[in-house]
Amino acid sequence: MTNDAPKRVLVVDDASLVRLYYRTALESAGFEVVEALNGLEALEHLLGGHFDLVIVDVNMPQMDGISFLQTLRAKSLPVSSIPAMVISSEAAPKRVAAASAAGANFYSVKPLRAEAIVQYASLLCGARHG
Amino acid sequence: MIFTEPKRYYVERRVTERMTATGASSFELYFARLRADLQGEIEQFVNAFTINETYFYREEHQLACLTSELLAARLNAKPRGAPIRIWSVPCSTGEEPYSIAIWLLENWPYVDEHDIEIVGSDIDTGAIALARGGVYGKRALSRLSPQVVDRYFTAVDAESWQIVSDLRDSVRFTRVNIVERAETQPHGQFDVIFCRNVLIYFDDLSRRTAAENLFENLLPGGFICLGHTESMSRISPLFEVARFADAIVYQRPSR
Repeated sequence: MTNDAPKRVLVVDDASLVRLYYRTALESAGFEVVEALNGLEALEHLLGGHFDLVIVDVNMPQMDGISFLQTLRAKSLPVSSIPAMVISSEAAPKRVAAASAAGANFYSVKPLRAEAIVQYASLLCGARHG
Repeated sequence: MIFTEPKRYYVERRVTERMTATGASSFELYFARLRADLQGEIEQFVNAFTINETYFYREEHQLACLTSELLAARLNAKPRGAPIRIWSVPCSTGEEPYSIAIWLLENWPYVDEHDIEIVGSDIDTGAIALARGGVYGKRALSRLSPQVVDRYFTAVDAESWQIVSDLRDSVRFTRVNIVERAETQPHGQFDVIFCRNVLIYFDDLSRRTAAENLFENLLPGGFICLGHTESMSRISPLFEVARFADAIVYQRPSR
């Protein structure tokens, strides 16, 4: 990472072990990580502060990853243009298409190695949606 | 629990502890208090006997076996998407179930792919309360690398560290007496049970009852890991021996 301010990543997953896994990987690479347990909580965080990337699981209670993205992209700029990486255990093309239509910049299938999370996050932090 | 003559010191020490804690000036006074169960003394007394000093990454070879063999075997046998359930019983003050979670985060590349449920249970409600709090001293952490301590603990003061909240949220703690089927059964069935260094304290009948209860708590094909001095073959014929490079464990037959 450069010596700019650390990039802020919002990790959205209902499983605490998974959030911790992604957080540990990202923090060790210099990212600043905030966690949310579901889509609703994620929206609150995004509306309350600046983030460079959101990493979101598909299967979550309350508001799943796809509904979250649809809601996010319908907001007014600049929050709606934050890059989003969708993580799922499903690799079926129709799932990928659904995530893409909802506004995902990137779709990756679990399991993800720590190095891969960091690599994707580094690439996506510079991106913009829409 | 059975304590034979060589354990006399252990018993005396625990009784003396409780006498001091309750301010009883003689054994007779303490015994009267215990019989009357004044201020829940029976529970306190049982707690005093079950406190087990332990540490993180104890019997690491079994944790290695978990990630090198047991989980893969279980995943092959399970429907896709079914959660992996791991039970640490007795879990004492939480070192074992948290060790399992940390080990998975550090050593199992599929940790984010599966829904993992870790349950820690103990008969001792005081130990469970400490487990939920997740604060440990230097000795308990002595087997962990500084990087691992840094990742999964926050310093409380110079002598103690607390497990990070995500990790505390990853383990569910419950009370259980493994000799009581009515208490073990509601915990459901697990893929892997860690039951280390408790059966040795039981008499033959209780030990067999506990083993039968734990058998019911295993999914068909599920594994149980005992302490390295313990052998299930001497306790119950229900289980099959499963030999792996890292450890010898026991398995509930698949059918």
